[in-house]
Amino acid sequence: MDTSSFYGIMDAGTADFLLRMVLMLIKIAVVIVVAMLHVAYSTWFERKIIGHMQIRLGPMRVGPHGLLQPFADFIKLFFKEDIIPSAGDRLVFQAAPMIALFATVSALAVIPFFDDFVIANVNVGLLYLFAMSSLSAYGIILAGWSSNSKYAFLGGLRSSAQVISYEIALALSLVGVMMLSGSLNLVEIVEAQQKHWYGMFAVIQFPAYILFLICAFAETNRTPFDLPEAESELVAGYFVEYSGMRFALFFLGEYIAMIIMSCIAVTCFLGGWTLPPIVIQALPFLALVPGIVWFLLKVYCHLFLYYWIRATVPRFRYDHLMSLGWKILIPISLANIVITSIAKYAF
Amino acid sequence: MTIKKFINTVLFVEILKGMALTFKMMLSKPVTIQYPDEKRKIYPGFRGKHAFVRDPKTGRQKCIMCMKCVNICPSQCISLKKGRDENNKPFLEQYDIEALRCIYCGYCVEVCPVCALVLTESYEYCAYTKEEIYFDKNKLLTNWDDYVATLSGDVYWNKFWRPDGVDISKMPKSKREQGPVPIRPIAVQPAPTPEKPPVAAAEKAADPAVKAEEKTEAKKEGE
Repeated sequence: MDTSSFYGIMDAGTADFLLRMVLMLIKIAVVIVVAMLHVAYSTWFERKIIGHMQIRLGPMRVGPHGLLQPFADFIKLFFKEDIIPSAGDRLVFQAAPMIALFATVSALAVIPFFDDFVIANVNVGLLYLFAMSSLSAYGIILAGWSSNSKYAFLGGLRSSAQVISYEIALALSLVGVMMLSGSLNLVEIVEAQQKHWYGMFAVIQFPAYILFLICAFAETNRTPFDLPEAESELVAGYFVEYSGMRFALFFLGEYIAMIIMSCIAVTCFLGGWTLPPIVIQALPFLALVPGIVWFLLKVYCHLFLYYWIRATVPRFRYDHLMSLGWKILIPISLANIVITSIAKYAF
Repeated sequence: MTIKKFINTVLFVEILKGMALTFKMMLSKPVTIQYPDEKRKIYPGFRGKHAFVRDPKTGRQKCIMCMKCVNICPSQCISLKKGRDENNKPFLEQYDIEALRCIYCGYCVEVCPVCALVLTESYEYCAYTKEEIYFDKNKLLTNWDDYVATLSGDVYWNKFWRPDGVDISKMPKSKREQGPVPIRPIAVQPAPTPEKPPVAAAEKAADPAVKAEEKTEAKKEGE
């Protein structure tokens, strides 16, 4: 395409660069908007699922079956007073929710949603994801510290300890996947799964998949690992002093983190946007369905699992949480690495 | 740790059992009653809004000022004032129920020897001011009329007028003889039998007059 004629004074290279920049920005905008809508409706979905599991109805009054509830909540949060504790550290207090949100949202950049749709197809995709999920712990710790409140502080401390201990097992559980696919690039990981008839690493890496799910629950502070915001002990944990829009930022960050963890699980263990080759062979017409459908379906199943667990399992005690992380999950994930490497070397 | 227990832990047997239960519950019908749209069925013996039974014979309350309800009320929300008219005949000058203090135990209904008081099955009477839920003598009669208008039968009977477990022979005569109260004649109160209306009308007329006098007196005192 001769783009130079559109821009007159620009040479072809600059014009091409600008065009790619604009396309990239559009792509980013699409992903962010879609992710935000997913957050909005995952709150609705969660309230509905948990409601029905407790034989209630969940939101019903705003719109048909409460479908407009997320927007009502957002409008409420948006117009709430923004309270900053007078004894707190003002600057850090304001920065913390942004750090938490930006760190989680930027992880969306490397996730391949469907064939050829990934904002940044980088070779260190998985490492980048780990780095970003660790960064969001800074937001939590800083929020807990800058609030100058005992509940927030305890919540922040617990959260940092929990995130650090479970991150190890989380990363180690993915090492098997890295070894099998021979790459850290998420697109290549998906393609590597397509080489097998089962099309999913969850089949041969089943223990790692379960480990990853458990660690993902702990990473995102969800029940049964929601100690940082244990309502019965810490009121709301690290964001107890936050209100209005700043609280909403934490909330968004938390739900996006859930979605991202589901995306990683889908990409690394369930074949991303693809279906197992054996299924495609059996039912060839399924190949016509766009990949994003399968990807989203798999993500929704994981989100459902989050809510299902939340409605079922009570919270861990703190020492149980720590001993589970360090004494059980990390050794199992290390054993998984050893067994996987031996198996890979043998076959 | 036995082998069985170990296997149960490794395979999350108990967690999966719990998850199966919550999943089953998710598919069951929710028990929620969406209140303003759906209403709960009210069973006989529901204790709701207070009312004075309007006596079909006189068209007024049946209260005989025995003070039993005032004395038995655990939250002491009933106040009663006995007045005397010019013939030195006692009449009910004031009868107030502070419904916001009421605990709806129904003792007043059970103890009333003439079955004058009732806790109706109507429960939708929230209001924006306290005054609206402060029931005086006339408001209690209005409550009865409002409630009776919603009923479909011809008579009304409240089970607390003759409480279970109390020997009927030990109840006062008026209570033993009390049958279901006819409610339909009230709707055609202006034209009952020819002899009665003058009395009823006279009494009715006297009532507001007394009320008005009280008010003026109270005003004077206030000034």
